[in-house]
Amino acid sequence: MESARRDTQAVLSKERYKPLLFPYNKQEKGGVYTKREGKARYLLAGAAAGLANGFFGGGGGSILVPALTRLCGMETRRAFATSVAVILPLCALSAGLYLLRGGLELSAALPYLLGGALGGWLGGRLFRGVRLSWLRRGFGLLLVYGGVRCIL
Amino acid sequence: MREFFLPLLAGALAGILSGFGVGGGTLLLVYLTVFAGLDQRLAQGINLLYFLPAGLLALPAHWKNGYVEKRALLPAVSAGLVCAGLAAWAATSLEVRLLRRLFGGFLTVIGISELLGKRK
Repeated sequence: MESARRDTQAVLSKERYKPLLFPYNKQEKGGVYTKREGKARYLLAGAAAGLANGFFGGGGGSILVPALTRLCGMETRRAFATSVAVILPLCALSAGLYLLRGGLELSAALPYLLGGALGGWLGGRLFRGVRLSWLRRGFGLLLVYGGVRCIL
Repeated sequence: MREFFLPLLAGALAGILSGFGVGGGTLLLVYLTVFAGLDQRLAQGINLLYFLPAGLLALPAHWKNGYVEKRALLPAVSAGLVCAGLAAWAATSLEVRLLRRLFGGFLTVIGISELLGKRK
């Protein structure tokens, strides 16, 4: 248990992930947040994630991770894990609204749900060994490609 | 057969990334709308549902590893719920083509931010 904690800390201190979104961070300049400031930042991060989650039906995490690392000054790996916990209830609410207000068939979603369950379980277990920076690069490329295709 | 297993595979791959918190949901959305050619709103709905099992099964591992910052949960979730509710309401009233355009802009911004971000 003790060694696991040391291991965690070593990984956390080595990783620095700095996306362009939400660039301002007092801690990066050596400042410290008061408790109240910290809370306001969490509120803001959550609100931004909620907007993306409800409006685009996803991407809450893509907003929340940068918001947590930069805006709130959270360590990278913590930000990834925390974002999963925050997004989950938001998804439940949004999915409920999409179901109620039409346009969503459960039968079409079923295979994705099964695959997602399997992948999610694996992802949680593999998380400690993964190189985050490589993931981000590939992720960014795919998004720009998809984004341009959607606009055109 | 293919109609079932291809989505299953896509869901599983995206699920691994979602479990990491890397944005598997965003990628699944790109797959659904750009590659599978689904209607934007249907794709968004599927993506929302898909994250429920994926996130739920990834969470215990994160919790046990001690990576979840508990202080952040209450403020972030409560603000997020309000905004998500409003935004979901807006999205389900909007014209689908406009929604798709906006989504494209959103993806591009996030993608560029990830690519150009500093790394040490």
